[in-house]
Amino acid sequence: MRKFSVNTDKKKTTPTDEQIKRQKDFARLHHEYENLTKRGKKPLYKDPKLFMLLFIIGLVLFLMFMES
Amino acid sequence: MTESEIVAMAKKDKVYFGELYDRYFEQIFRFSFKRLGGMEDVAGDVTQQVFIKAMANLSKYEDRGLPFSSWLYRIAQNEVSMFFRKKKKNYTVPVDENRIQDLASEAKVSTYMSMDDQSQLVEMLNELESDHLDLIELRFFQELSFKEIAEIYGITEANAKMRTYRILERIGKKWNSSK
Repeated sequence: MRKFSVNTDKKKTTPTDEQIKRQKDFARLHHEYENLTKRGKKPLYKDPKLFMLLFIIGLVLFLMFMES
Repeated sequence: MTESEIVAMAKKDKVYFGELYDRYFEQIFRFSFKRLGGMEDVAGDVTQQVFIKAMANLSKYEDRGLPFSSWLYRIAQNEVSMFFRKKKKNYTVPVDENRIQDLASEAKVSTYMSMDDQSQLVEMLNELESDHLDLIELRFFQELSFKEIAEIYGITEANAKMRTYRILERIGKKWNSSK
């Protein structure tokens, strides 16, 4: 939660040019973006939900085959 | 190259997003820095998050004649609010005396305020609903124009002005009844 207070300590509320320069980094941004968007490329069989789905489909097909 | 042209190119190839980053980083970092009370690293992380979200959602961005920065401000506004919501403890944001003084005269509270008065007024602000406080913060502490506030909220300038003055009126009444 945020609370305001009177700035009695004269804390700087605007960044210096040096701080701006230090934080500005497009390469880092691009890298983080790539990591974020390239996530989730796990093989299907390693995803537990998909594995279960494939297993159930397989089981149903097997039972149908056995039935016939 | 115009802003719309860069946006159109960045939609096709993310490499061009660097141009938008170069143009608007400073503005968004200054905004986050001030809203977060001068915490450089936190403001840096929030700003980074703003640009990652902008980059990821650029395909959804529609040019409605507003500056691209207003879309970034809107994302930054949400990111900062989310940061405060996640914080379990209170996060104190210092506000300069002259900003409180400006607010006090607009709310017709007083033209000059002692230190005690300022603290009391800030306490009163802290009791406001968070969306009201956001509006007051953008106008008086971030010193944004009504036009910029309107662009962030996607409302008209007149509406932004009306909402702000209604809150100020409420603050003024509360102040006077407490005195």
